[in-house]
Amino acid sequence: MFFTKRPPPDAKETVIAVVGASRAPEPLPVGELRHTVDPATLGFTSTAELEPISGLIGQDRALKAIQFGATIKSHDFNIFVQGPAASGKSTAVKQYLEKKAKDAPTPVDWVYVNNFETANRPIALKLPPGRGRPLARAMVAAIDELRNTLPAVFEGEDYQARRRSIDEEFRSGQEDALAGFNKRAQDQNIAVLRTPTGFAMAPTHEGKIVKPEVFNTLPEAMRTDVEKRIEILQKELEQILERLPKSDKQRRAKLSDLNAEVASIAVREALDDVAAAFADEPGVLAFLTVAGSDLVRNVGLFLAPTGDESEIVKQPADTARDPRFRRYMVNVMVSNGEPAPAGAPIVEELNPTFGNLIGRVEHLANMGALVTDFLLIKSGALHRANGGYLLIDARKVLLSPFAWEALKRTIKGREIRMEQPSEMAGMMSTQTLDPEPIPLDVKVILFGDRELYYMLASADPDFSRLFKVQADFDDSIARSAENDIAFSRLVASIVTQHHLRPVDAGGVARLIDEAARLADDREKLSIEIGRIADIVREADYWAGAARHDHVTRDDVAQAIAENIQRSDRMRDRAQEMIQREIMLIDTAGVKVGQINGLSVLQLGAFAFGRPTRITARVRMGAGRVTDIEREVNLGGPLHSKGVMILWGYLAGLFAQDVPLAMAATLVVEQSYGGVDGDSASSTELYALLSALAEVPIRQSIAVTGSVNQWGEVQAIGGANEKIEGFFDVCRVRGLDGRQGVMIPKANVQHLMLREDVVDAVKQGKFAIWPVGHIDEGIELLTGVEAGVRGADGKFPAGTINGLVEEKLRAFAESVRAFGAKAVGAVPNGRDLT
Amino acid sequence: MIAHVAAVGEQRGRVVLHLGSGYPNQIALAAAIRVAKAFESEVESLFIEDQNLYACADYPFAVEISLCGRTRRALSVAHIEREFRHAASAIGRQLDHLARIAEVPLRRTVVRDDPFTALARACAERGPWNMIALGDTVGNSASDDIRRLFDTVLDTTGVILTGPRAQRNSGPLVVVLEDIAHLEPMLRTAERLAPEGGDTPIILLLVADSDDKLAWMDGQVRLVLGANQTPQLARAVVESGGEAVLAEVIRRLQGGLVIAEFGGVLVPASGDMRYLTSSLECPLLLMR
Repeated sequence: MFFTKRPPPDAKETVIAVVGASRAPEPLPVGELRHTVDPATLGFTSTAELEPISGLIGQDRALKAIQFGATIKSHDFNIFVQGPAASGKSTAVKQYLEKKAKDAPTPVDWVYVNNFETANRPIALKLPPGRGRPLARAMVAAIDELRNTLPAVFEGEDYQARRRSIDEEFRSGQEDALAGFNKRAQDQNIAVLRTPTGFAMAPTHEGKIVKPEVFNTLPEAMRTDVEKRIEILQKELEQILERLPKSDKQRRAKLSDLNAEVASIAVREALDDVAAAFADEPGVLAFLTVAGSDLVRNVGLFLAPTGDESEIVKQPADTARDPRFRRYMVNVMVSNGEPAPAGAPIVEELNPTFGNLIGRVEHLANMGALVTDFLLIKSGALHRANGGYLLIDARKVLLSPFAWEALKRTIKGREIRMEQPSEMAGMMSTQTLDPEPIPLDVKVILFGDRELYYMLASADPDFSRLFKVQADFDDSIARSAENDIAFSRLVASIVTQHHLRPVDAGGVARLIDEAARLADDREKLSIEIGRIADIVREADYWAGAARHDHVTRDDVAQAIAENIQRSDRMRDRAQEMIQREIMLIDTAGVKVGQINGLSVLQLGAFAFGRPTRITARVRMGAGRVTDIEREVNLGGPLHSKGVMILWGYLAGLFAQDVPLAMAATLVVEQSYGGVDGDSASSTELYALLSALAEVPIRQSIAVTGSVNQWGEVQAIGGANEKIEGFFDVCRVRGLDGRQGVMIPKANVQHLMLREDVVDAVKQGKFAIWPVGHIDEGIELLTGVEAGVRGADGKFPAGTINGLVEEKLRAFAESVRAFGAKAVGAVPNGRDLT
Repeated sequence: MIAHVAAVGEQRGRVVLHLGSGYPNQIALAAAIRVAKAFESEVESLFIEDQNLYACADYPFAVEISLCGRTRRALSVAHIEREFRHAASAIGRQLDHLARIAEVPLRRTVVRDDPFTALARACAERGPWNMIALGDTVGNSASDDIRRLFDTVLDTTGVILTGPRAQRNSGPLVVVLEDIAHLEPMLRTAERLAPEGGDTPIILLLVADSDDKLAWMDGQVRLVLGANQTPQLARAVVESGGEAVLAEVIRRLQGGLVIAEFGGVLVPASGDMRYLTSSLECPLLLMR
């Protein structure tokens, strides 16, 4: 079976004068295509004359919210700053807070000290600002002093004499008891003999042991008497010997008392200085009391040898690092007042992990085991920001395991309680600490985009309760002379901040133009400070390369062009495919059911437009339209919605008294990725009307715009890129004066077209047509009047609408002739009538 | 009065280390080795099993009361023999180790006898230049035993004893001079024990009961010493009954070995030694 291709009615494009009252739009005048700033109107020659602006411009709503949120005293009125990335919101917030925090009271210091009762529950001490580190230093100095004084005191004559006295008292008492016993035994002619492991007794005569054989010859009474005496003496000796451990215990007790007495004097003297310096701090005094008692109890720590005495070179040990004295040290968690009170802290945590936010308890490996103590407690951002402000990127904190939950729990509980993630997860952990929680008074400021805000608001009930203030940063400001100057000052501040060359008025004007372009709206200025700053810095580079004293308009233009060139490889590739007719796009002639649509591709920060062929085929059917993109899952929901809307337009306009007995297929040709958005719905409607009316469409015109069910053409996004995309194709093929782009009227205000496009329009080689209704567009595309339904209820013959209606009636008749049986219905097609 | 120990080659004496219990004083053992090394002598460790104990064991009612006083068991010859054997063996190992380090010849002997008799016999074997070192710690009432030792054992030039507070063997060599007539032999002994060029200073402590006598002694000493400035001089005036003061003076000198005469103020021929034993932190070499 062979198909013969039906030639278009007029393969050669001709501009047909529309018969009757033409509703075809007029091309836009050049002045509507780009809103440029005259440098002379700015009132300065370079940014060197301008005072840099501090803060943001045109963000009153957001700034008011920040002022409110930062001032209100409530733990749950935290702030979520939302706005586009690189919009300068973080800088603006910090600048505002710095001013406010400077005059705010400096928050207290927090330190952890050892809990001498329960070592795994370190005690948190609150101190006036700037007193934490002095306390830590004072304790090191006190222990240092004790390291010198205690050994000296215990080696001193006074102590040694007293100790000898106690020892001697015990020893002599012991010896005297045994000597006395020996004497008593001797008096009874009994010898006390020392064996290797004890004592034994035997009868004596004239100082010599009586031999057993001699003893046995003695009268029995005498022998019995000796045995009794020995028995009595043995019991006495046992009693004496049993008393020895008790007296030794007494000796140790006396020595212990002596040690405590001697040590307590030195300890008191060493800690007195600390106590005097912190006399107004009951917490510190209580700590010193307990630490003093512990020092007295553990005075041996100071007397034990520190190492090998034979070392040739001995360095004085660092007291703060000496493991023996760690328990007396002070772990300064937060120090706010050194060297001078600095107001409320503003802490920006760039890596908001759990540990970096809440703090962590570190461990040391010791003999294969992990050990820790209160000195290994490390402060987190919440500790440092306590009494002030904590700035966090919302996305980062959400992506960090455990961090978000911990942050919420801490804000809600109004105290920083250190619980390690492993414990929270119920995992086994080595011995760790349970430090006393520290009360929290902080204003948390999260930064994120709008999507994140709305996602959190809907998905996390805690979020709305804890972040009651939203500061919504706009990404653009209204265009006005006042804002142009404000923008110029913003450029001046970028120049100052980055130490760049001043930008002359021409350069600033070009930057304002680019800001309008970035805003995608000539009535607006983008305030994406990061992007603007990038352009200014790149322009400064090119100014340097050109040896300019100032950054000029040309430098800014070159910076923009170079930036685009670095990013537009894909655009060139797309253009090349069109020029080589791999991708089929006609820019001349006419075709039935075929039209040039426009799409925008966003690749990173760079977006560009590209023409795309859209075709429509119709036939008799059961009132179904097949969106092929959707059928193969390449079409997004918005695209499908657009197709359904255009079908609604057709049904509403032509199927009031006759069934829509047609089937249609719509396709975006050579589209191998996804298609979404409704900006092609008007384009698809034009193609469908052309196919139904069998009237060809001019291929020199590309179309964009969405349509509603009443045929009104609605605004779309990316108008500039789309126009430029089609212009680039036409320019390469040769501009002939008939090419142009049809855009929704509502998009005229967004136009900030490239200068080469504007020049081409100025020279009559290219045109932009604003369209308000489908009828206007179809007339421009076909050169045939759209037609208005007359008093007889019919469209005039020969008009597009008349031809369409005629075709649809013919389809209906045919269907009826076939017994109202649908012909050629597409499987899975959807009945839209 | 000559404090001398025969050298190895002389075959006429040595350091006789008396051991009797299972718990010798470690400082005393080291002191015996030190003296032997200084005199290039040998050490004979004489472990004496008190024969009176064996006699005692023959009594049917004989029991041994433990050192802590809490247990009592029947005393038997076999038990005593075993305990003595174990004690001698343990001490012997310690001595072997010390002697090997000091490179001092060691001879170990175990005898079953009366202690004084055994010592006298051992010294007589190679008399007369023996030095007796007491391995056990001496107590407050040791004077009588020391006197008896000097009376019984004629072939000894001195006795080394160690008190309960002994804690060092290093430090200055302190010579306690109470009688100027003893200066020369005591000094010679000290010089032998602290060889020239070594790092052990000699402190000569002059003891007299009056300032005048002390001044006189000082002059005499200087005459004897002449240009020899080796010993440092220290002085103490000790009136009658001032042994406690003298003991404290000696303690403060922080000596490593004290040389003194028996029967003087420091170690009277009889009576209580508690002041000395409570202060003496190093071994004491008593010269006859």
